[in-house]
Amino acid sequence: MKLFDRIRPAIVNGLRELQANKIRSLLSMSGIILGVASLVAMVTVVQGMVGNFRQFVDAMGGIEKITVTREQLPKEQEHLAELSEGITMRDVERIRKTVSLVDNISPEARVGSERLIVEGRETTTYVTGVTADYLPVAKRWIDPGFGRFISDLDVLNMNDVIVLGSAVVPELFGANVDPVGKVIKIRGRRFTVIGILNNIEGSGMQVRSANSRSSGSSWRWRNSGALIPVSTAQAKFIGNDRLSGLGLRIGDAELLRDAVEQTERTMLAGHKGLRDFAITTNEQTLEDFRKTEVAFKLSLGGVAGISLFVGGIGIMNVMLASINERIREIGVRKAVGARGSDLFLQFLSEAAVISVVGGLIGLVVSMGIVSLMNYILMQALPTGAVATLDWLIMVQGLAFSVVVGLVAGVYPALRAASLDPIEALRHE
Amino acid sequence: MPALIAIRGLRKAYVMGDETIHALAGVDLDFQQGEFVAILGPSGSGKSTLMHILGFMDTPTEGSIVFDGQEVAKIEPDLRAWYRSNRVGFVFQSFNLLPRLTVLDNVALPLLYRENSDPVANEAAATIALERVGMSHRLDHRPSQLSGGERQRVAIARAIVGSPSIIFADEPTGNLDVKNIDRILDLLGSLIKEGITVVLVTHDLSVAEKAHRVISMRAGLVQEDRTR
Repeated sequence: MKLFDRIRPAIVNGLRELQANKIRSLLSMSGIILGVASLVAMVTVVQGMVGNFRQFVDAMGGIEKITVTREQLPKEQEHLAELSEGITMRDVERIRKTVSLVDNISPEARVGSERLIVEGRETTTYVTGVTADYLPVAKRWIDPGFGRFISDLDVLNMNDVIVLGSAVVPELFGANVDPVGKVIKIRGRRFTVIGILNNIEGSGMQVRSANSRSSGSSWRWRNSGALIPVSTAQAKFIGNDRLSGLGLRIGDAELLRDAVEQTERTMLAGHKGLRDFAITTNEQTLEDFRKTEVAFKLSLGGVAGISLFVGGIGIMNVMLASINERIREIGVRKAVGARGSDLFLQFLSEAAVISVVGGLIGLVVSMGIVSLMNYILMQALPTGAVATLDWLIMVQGLAFSVVVGLVAGVYPALRAASLDPIEALRHE
Repeated sequence: MPALIAIRGLRKAYVMGDETIHALAGVDLDFQQGEFVAILGPSGSGKSTLMHILGFMDTPTEGSIVFDGQEVAKIEPDLRAWYRSNRVGFVFQSFNLLPRLTVLDNVALPLLYRENSDPVANEAAATIALERVGMSHRLDHRPSQLSGGERQRVAIARAIVGSPSIIFADEPTGNLDVKNIDRILDLLGSLIKEGITVVLVTHDLSVAEKAHRVISMRAGLVQEDRTR
């Protein structure tokens, strides 16, 4: 007899048993339902959080970004303060020449929070001086039809041009107005809008429209701000050649540590040994998060594991009860020719049916849990960790429940298979 | 013609605590093809034990059983199951129909455990068997919807569905009224025309009288074996 032919009636029997003992079956399935629901929901939510965090790190420039910022001199060098000239364009040149791992260097000169005025409207946003390298370092771009970015020529000529964050545009110009070519005043200086930065959308809290207040608050800071040529910022606002920091992009994240080391050496050499700068990366943040992720997965996996274990006990219990009730049936089946292996397969299949049905209900419950968790996380976390159910996780959850059902069904099935037909037929 | 079943020196002993009970104490019997045999005896006489052993549900402690030319006294459990599925049919006093299955599914049950079992062919065979016992109008009913006599006819259909060589009926009329007793015994008796051997186990003399041969048992031994 083909295996499927042997299993098919057993599956029908299993479903019949479920139908005949609805409440008992539901109770026995509760462990599996909870186990699968928590397993799928938790894995989904954790994955969602991880994905969202990666996105957050990416928005911060990604793992391939090194940030050099101005820093107070350490105590032992404080007496050399007048020798410190801060971070300047000379550092940019030195790094460009000596640190081969660095692909792009973005010097940044923070002007600060400024009032941007245009024909009766105004808004306050922070203004930063940058070069053309800002885009690759910050992983930003300008969508076609939204103008252009600051060019080397703009920097060279100290042009009064400005690139706006997408959230700033509607505040200054209202909706559906193309601001490119329009003039904005900052401290009385006239700046021509040359482009709009791409709109960053987090999957968690989508920035659906740039002026939406109800959504996108967490990503809003990335869509705010205005950029002007670094030379313009230094000459016309800051009044010196100092930079607030450098953004460095390297080609290969694997070589991050080498790049940091080389940058540090170059900076130290250029600054005559003065530690008036700090170098930071997103690696540590990511590493901390990875540890949290592992801890999350272990603890939640434990909860799901315990639920599934309890679910297995539930199935074993109901299978033993079912076999006790059906001893006579087992005797009849044996009397008409069923082998021990036929009955083993039958009861094992019934256990599998219970676990599959329980697993499917668990998947439905997990959808509810994920929706609820999404709602809660969106309220609680700044990045808004949003999880989407992945069919692969659902299949894995279901597979887990089947394995639990099969393992839990082995002992009862063995009992059924080993029953003596004469004793079974005598059973009242 | 060689006997369908030939048993020699058949013994069955059970150990219960310190005591050994000899359910069969050395039985020699032959059963021919197409015989209608009644095994008569009081409780504890060994008639049920004999039926269980001959029906491949139990094994003897000692002795030989030749079934259709094959020695089968000490065969493996799976081979015994094969014989139960292919060569033997059972009819029980309490019908032993599975309550959650329909009449048709109950009758098709023995075919389910055969090699190359085909659901469509099984249903067709079960329908024919039910026609033979006059129950083809109740295919989709559950056992609980049938009378006692009807249930036993369904049980007989289940016993004959696999075209067995021999049918063992253990007190098949024990739960039936007089009218149904005659009907069921006539039905069992009619099977011998098809070459099926029918072995009726009973403690009721009036039921045993319907058979062509009556074997009386007492204390695990054949006391009398007479053919009418």
